[in-house]
Amino acid sequence: MDATFILVVVGLSSLAAALVARGHSRRRLRSAVGKTLETIGLAAVFLFLNIGVGFCLALLARVVGGRFVSLYHSDDVTILAVSVLQALVFQWSREPEASAGP
Amino acid sequence: MSARGALRGIGGATVALFAALAFTPLSNRLHGVLFPPAGPPGPAAAIVVLGSGIDHGVLSDSSLRRALAGVVLFRQRSAPLLVMLGPASGGQLSEAAVRVRLAQDLGVPTTALVADPRGLTTRDEARVSWEDLAPRGMRRILLVTASEHMPRAAALFRRVGFEVVEAPVEELSSHDGRPQVRLELARVLLRELLARAYHRAAGYL
Repeated sequence: MDATFILVVVGLSSLAAALVARGHSRRRLRSAVGKTLETIGLAAVFLFLNIGVGFCLALLARVVGGRFVSLYHSDDVTILAVSVLQALVFQWSREPEASAGP
Repeated sequence: MSARGALRGIGGATVALFAALAFTPLSNRLHGVLFPPAGPPGPAAAIVVLGSGIDHGVLSDSSLRRALAGVVLFRQRSAPLLVMLGPASGGQLSEAAVRVRLAQDLGVPTTALVADPRGLTTRDEARVSWEDLAPRGMRRILLVTASEHMPRAAALFRRVGFEVVEAPVEELSSHDGRPQVRLELARVLLRELLARAYHRAAGYL
C-alpha cells in the first residue's frame, strides 16, 4: 500500500508537470531523460568510488597507522547524497557555458 | 560505446534497480531466503551479546535490542552467565559497561554478568570471548546478534572453538512493505554480503 501510494503521488505530479510543459517537444523530453540518466550514472560511479576509497583508507589506517578505523564508516546515507552532488557538479562542468545576454 | 552512452546505461540500470528494490518485494524475498527465521534457542553455558555501537554513553537502537534479547534469554534461564561486549566511544563508558548497568537494572545479578569492551571487530569479539569463557570451561554459547550478521559471526566464533547456538535478533522486519524499509533491507543485505566477501578474501572465514 505504501509503495502504491507513493507511485500514485509521483504519477499525478508527473502528469501535472507534463500538462504544464505540453508545449515542449517530445524530442526535448527525451534529451532531458537522457541527461538525467547520465547524471544518475555519474552519481553511481561516484558512489562506488567513494565507498572504494573509504574502504582502502580504513585498511591503510589499520595497516600503516596501526589505528583501528571501522570499515562501516562508509556505510552512511550521507555518502549517497554527496555522491549525487559530485555528479551534478561534474555534469554541469561538462556542459558548454551559456552565451552572455545582450 | 561512448562515455555518455555508458553513463546512460549505468543510470538506467541504477533507476531500474532502485525501482525493483523499493517498489517490489525483491528485498523482502532476498532477506527471507538468505536469513530464514531461526527456531527457539536451546540452553548453553553462557549468553554472548555482540556489540553494535554506542555514542557518548547512548546505546544505538540495535545495541539496545541485542542487550534486551540477552537479558530475556537470561531471564528464561537459557544460560547462567551473560556476557556483554562492545567498546567505548567518545571517552565515555564502554558499550559493554552501559549494557551491564541496563541488565542490572532489569534484575540480572552482578555475579551473572561479564563486561568485555576489548572487541573492536566481530573477529576480536570471538577472541576475547574465548579468553573470558574457555578458562571457565564454557564452550557452548548462545550468540546474540542481528539475524543478518549471525552467519558470519557464528562462523567466526566456531572458528575460535565455541559450540554456537544461534539466537538472532530481528532488527529489521523482512515483511515490511514500506519502500524506505525495503531500501534499508537491501542496504543491510549488501553490506553483509560485502563483509562476508572481505572476510573470505582475508582468510578469516
